[in-house]
Amino acid sequence: MLRMQDISKIYRTDLIETHALRDFSLRVGQGEFVAVSGPSGSGKTTFLTIAGLLENFDTGTYELDGRDVSRLTDDGRSRIRNEKIGFIFQGFNLIPDLDLFDNVDVPLRYRRMKADERRKRIESALDLVGLASRMKHLPSQLSGGQQQRVAIARAIAGDPALILADEPTGNLDSLMARQIMDLLEKINDMGTTIVLVTHDPELARRAQRNIHIVDGLVIDSPPYEARESQRAARAGTSPD
Amino acid sequence: MSTNIRPLLSALRRNPTGALLVAVQVAITLAVLVNAAWIVAQRIEKIEQPTGIDTRDTFEIDILGLSKRFEVAQAESEDLAYLRGLPGVVTATATLGTPLTLNGGDTDLARSPGTDAPSLPANFLEVGDQGLRALEVPLVAGRNFRAGEIRPAGKHTPISEVIITRSLARALFAHGNALGQAVYEDNNDPLTIIGITRDFMGPQLGAPAYNTVLLPEMPGEGGFYGLLVRARPGMRATVLREAKEHIGASHRHAVIAETMTLTSAKRQFEANNRNMAIFLTSVTALMVAVCCLGIFGLTTFNVSSRTRQIGTRRALGARKRDVVRHFMLENSLILAAGALPGAVLALAVGNWLTARYGLPRLDLAYLAGGIVVLWGTGLLAAWQPARRAAGIPPSVATRTI
Ligand SMILES: Nc1ncnc2c1ncn2[C@@H]1O[C@H](COP(=O)(O)OP(=O)(O)OP(=O)(O)O)[C@@H](O)[C@H]1O
Ligand SMILES: [Mg+2]
Repeated sequence: MLRMQDISKIYRTDLIETHALRDFSLRVGQGEFVAVSGPSGSGKTTFLTIAGLLENFDTGTYELDGRDVSRLTDDGRSRIRNEKIGFIFQGFNLIPDLDLFDNVDVPLRYRRMKADERRKRIESALDLVGLASRMKHLPSQLSGGQQQRVAIARAIAGDPALILADEPTGNLDSLMARQIMDLLEKINDMGTTIVLVTHDPELARRAQRNIHIVDGLVIDSPPYEARESQRAARAGTSPD
Repeated sequence: MSTNIRPLLSALRRNPTGALLVAVQVAITLAVLVNAAWIVAQRIEKIEQPTGIDTRDTFEIDILGLSKRFEVAQAESEDLAYLRGLPGVVTATATLGTPLTLNGGDTDLARSPGTDAPSLPANFLEVGDQGLRALEVPLVAGRNFRAGEIRPAGKHTPISEVIITRSLARALFAHGNALGQAVYEDNNDPLTIIGITRDFMGPQLGAPAYNTVLLPEMPGEGGFYGLLVRARPGMRATVLREAKEHIGASHRHAVIAETMTLTSAKRQFEANNRNMAIFLTSVTALMVAVCCLGIFGLTTFNVSSRTRQIGTRRALGARKRDVVRHFMLENSLILAAGALPGAVLALAVGNWLTARYGLPRLDLAYLAGGIVVLWGTGLLAAWQPARRAAGIPPSVATRTI
């Protein structure tokens, strides 16, 4: 699904150069649920931003869903973000002036989808996150956890191959965080690959694979085999 | 494209203040723009239209009595006799009102008596039976005033004949011959139209340029009268110098208030119209600029306050041109919201100008043109901030909390 080889990313300001990622290599398989953790400033968000084609990298190669995406035009990147990737942000990033329906509609409109097809997808996505009855509400009328569920609905409505989530529970209390995690697991079970950046070891443990980033380097990426035993373990222990 | 209007509209409805203010500004600017352009067009037309009179050989001398002992009627006939006796003079008439200037009067003429009757504004000139000849204006129908029909200076006997221009005749009697018909100033006695002239410009007060009416009166009210003199070709300067000298010395209780050639009156007339056109154009351009500034300001504000939203839209798949289109569409909606009441306002102002100042009815092409111009400049004003919005990187979505 995702294959990064020797990626480096340097942020340059007038005074300093920050090597946010250096020789960063990572492979994520189809259908995996990967949790990424690491100290603050280690490069987690940078990795996610590059994985999500929100920013360019300096050197290395990146293949997404079997396609080299290193040298795409800006429009091409927009298109891949729109069709293949679903984003979940720490700050929810809902559009405050649009109701829930229209918020989930945003990426679908950029895909130029027919109106009835969009309606169907929006309704089923909001249904999945349990907010179908509040379609006409504004984000400000919802709790943080509910807002994040809308953001998840928005991320999955376009049926992406990959979901990237940057600390989606960072602004939520632990109960809501667990609900969000339940939802992500459910989505992963339906076949969507998920990469989740989180500080929370409890949540990270629930992923199939844990990746540790320190100083822009992947230092701990258990082999693929490990994920199978982890999945088995989760199926046995977590009641959901 | 059209499918994106609904969410834009609902977002605007939830946050309407700025958009509403700009829409109001658009409405007012449109009303001013359309009507100012219409007035400017009329002014330019006035400059370009022929005056219909001899301006090359004519001049006017205005006499002002300084005391009650000034015998206006006598002085008038002395002056006219002197002027007509000069070898360089074709003819001379006493007059009140100078063509092409603000010196004169205007009135309202109706086809029936009474203050409520629909009327047309007209500028008037008081002249004697030599008036048409002095102006070198030919009749196209009817006849000139007879000497006996001219009201003497200082008398208040009623007059009962008028001569009007062809334009005024057509405006008053659209479906028939105006000659021999009666017209009325308020409740006064009927004035019979005895002659119709080729179009010419009388004094330029409120009425349309060619709405001129000649009244058979020797002026003298308040000890004031004008002498309109037509010289033989090439003789004007000589005659003017002589006449000034002689008349200036011949009245013990009066002075020459002003002398003016109609050439300079015409130049002044053109300059006035040109200045009015320039003034209106500048004020309107300023208003359009301020309106554009409003659109620019609102869009700039929206772009900077929605940075994260724009970054998020980019992350979710918006291309740069989608972001530009978003702001163009939003401003189009605001412009439309302003253009609609603006068009109504423009028509209302146009009607008022027609009713009050006799301005020709607003041509709807000017309304359409005004909307196009304002739309174009409005979108142009939104273009730069919209481009800046498109430059907001998608990574803003992950980098701002
Ligand atoms: N736009 C930028 N310009 C300059 N430096 C940047 C920029 N974005 C990130 N960095 C730097 O890159 C490094 C990695 O940042 P990144 O945001 O990826 O860390 P992180 O692991 O997500 O941290 P946190 O857990 O605090 O979110 C940091 O040193 C950061 O200061
Ligand atoms: Mg981060």
